[in-house]
Amino acid sequence: MFLKNVTTNLKKYSFLLRQLVSRDFKVKYKRSILGVVWSLLYPLLTMAVMAIVFSNVFKFSTPGVSYLAYLLSGLIMFNYYSEASNLSMSSVVANFPLINKIYIPKYIFPLSKCLFVGINFLLTLIPFYIVLFATGTGVNIYHIFLPYAFLCLFMFTLGMGFILSAVSVFLRDMFYIYGIVLTLWTYLTPVMYDINVISKSLQPFLKLNPMYHYINFVREITLYGRIPQPFTWATCIVSSVVVLIIGVVVFRKTQNKFIYYV
Amino acid sequence: MIKVNNVSMKFNLGIEKNFSLKLFFINMFKSKKNKPKKEEFWALKDVNFEVKKGEVIGFIGSNGAGKSTMLKVIAGVMKPTTGSVEVYGNICPMIELGAGFDMELTARENIFLNGAVLGYSKQFIEEKFEEIVEFSELREFLDVPVRNFSSGMTARLAFSIATVVDPEILIVDEILSVGDIAFQQKSEAKMKSLIGGGTTVLFVSHSIDQIKSICNKVVWLEHGKVKKIGEAKEICDEYYNTQVS
Ligand SMILES: Nc1ncnc2c1ncn2[C@@H]1O[C@H](COP(=O)(O)OP(=O)(O)OP(=O)(O)O)[C@@H](O)[C@H]1O
Ligand SMILES: [Mg+2]
Repeated sequence: MFLKNVTTNLKKYSFLLRQLVSRDFKVKYKRSILGVVWSLLYPLLTMAVMAIVFSNVFKFSTPGVSYLAYLLSGLIMFNYYSEASNLSMSSVVANFPLINKIYIPKYIFPLSKCLFVGINFLLTLIPFYIVLFATGTGVNIYHIFLPYAFLCLFMFTLGMGFILSAVSVFLRDMFYIYGIVLTLWTYLTPVMYDINVISKSLQPFLKLNPMYHYINFVREITLYGRIPQPFTWATCIVSSVVVLIIGVVVFRKTQNKFIYYV
Repeated sequence: MIKVNNVSMKFNLGIEKNFSLKLFFINMFKSKKNKPKKEEFWALKDVNFEVKKGEVIGFIGSNGAGKSTMLKVIAGVMKPTTGSVEVYGNICPMIELGAGFDMELTARENIFLNGAVLGYSKQFIEEKFEEIVEFSELREFLDVPVRNFSSGMTARLAFSIATVVDPEILIVDEILSVGDIAFQQKSEAKMKSLIGGGTTVLFVSHSIDQIKSICNKVVWLEHGKVKKIGEAKEICDEYYNTQVS
């Protein structure tokens, strides 16, 4: 019943959704000369900078696999999350002028941001594969399972986007708070270091972080060439679906009150 | 066609916008008793009326009387705090035009974006594209970013997009005063032709003459309450007299 509602609603507003996503694209790239090339270059440059800092200065390394590929796999996943969740969070407040004048289902704003950044994410897979080949890591048959991790990442991010955008309507300080949380989160997620460099007693805490599992899933396949453990499969889907459901519930419960906080 | 039953709309002016962590902590440490009472404000209070198919209803009242709020509740933009609104038919809300414009995009791109925001389908916009451009008289500016438009040009484009539909219910909130004189006449003519086609219209304007010439019935709002409902000319004259004296 609920699902059927969602699909008919999505069908009705799919054109608007496409327009919003393409608007974001046009606005983002219209005035830059390199345009889309930035999307490809940006993760590569970040990777290069971080690789120089962490592998030369701090002597981080990942035994058995290329540190560059290790870094980039974590970066593209985490960058997707941080950019999409940030944009989603501000999307509702930013569209208040619209929400105050026309009836539009409000969930469409966080959703369009997650999709927009999602397309960017798919573009960053190009530099990722280039690095996989350049470092001699190569590809294997298990890559067909990668979309599973991407889907989980998307659902998790969308759920967080719903929660953050709803909360930030009532609590504008959220923008600052979340900025700090996100910085902390980056360091607590094993993006640039291997979880095994952390003391055994702390590892279980780091594993409470869903982002760790999505990234781990991708690394198991692309770097270590093996199918992730059943436990990883389960953690990914359960954490993302649970967060998405919480997000939908929070958003639906609060959306009629948004108008009072315009 | 439209039934408004006991609609009240409350805004919490006290918590609005300033709600932040700072206030939250301040309030937490204050004892329950001397917590400042949330300032309540009723923008609409127990409003009742009915609109039949094909009727053209005007709303009058001073600034802040609740006219726009009433229209937004009918258009579904806001849920009333209490009471209910029944609407049969598809609504074209022209409450504030151009709300969905993105200043960075060109006029052409904005026609599609704004059309989508208003709920048009892709096919519909493609069909009506020519008509929109024609009516707005902005053909040479189609590929110019709207950021570089004058405000009148933006308003023309917005008006042309919004009025391209044939809605069953048209909601118009003070939008006829856009553009230069030529365009004002053109937009009023367009509005009249929409009305002549049997559309139900809810119309807000501060121009009493306009209301008199277009509407059959008028709702007079004062401080969120219905002061009077009745035949257009009668109510308008009475309203006019209270305003000037
Ligand atoms: N989102 C909101 N939050 C708080 N108060 C609001 C909000 N929207 C409207 N109000 C208040 O409700 C009252 C009625 O506003 P409304 O816009 O309906 O007036 P109006 O009759 O359209 O006036 P005008 O003739 O100036 O257009 C105003 O006092 C306004 O401050
Ligand atoms: Mg108004």
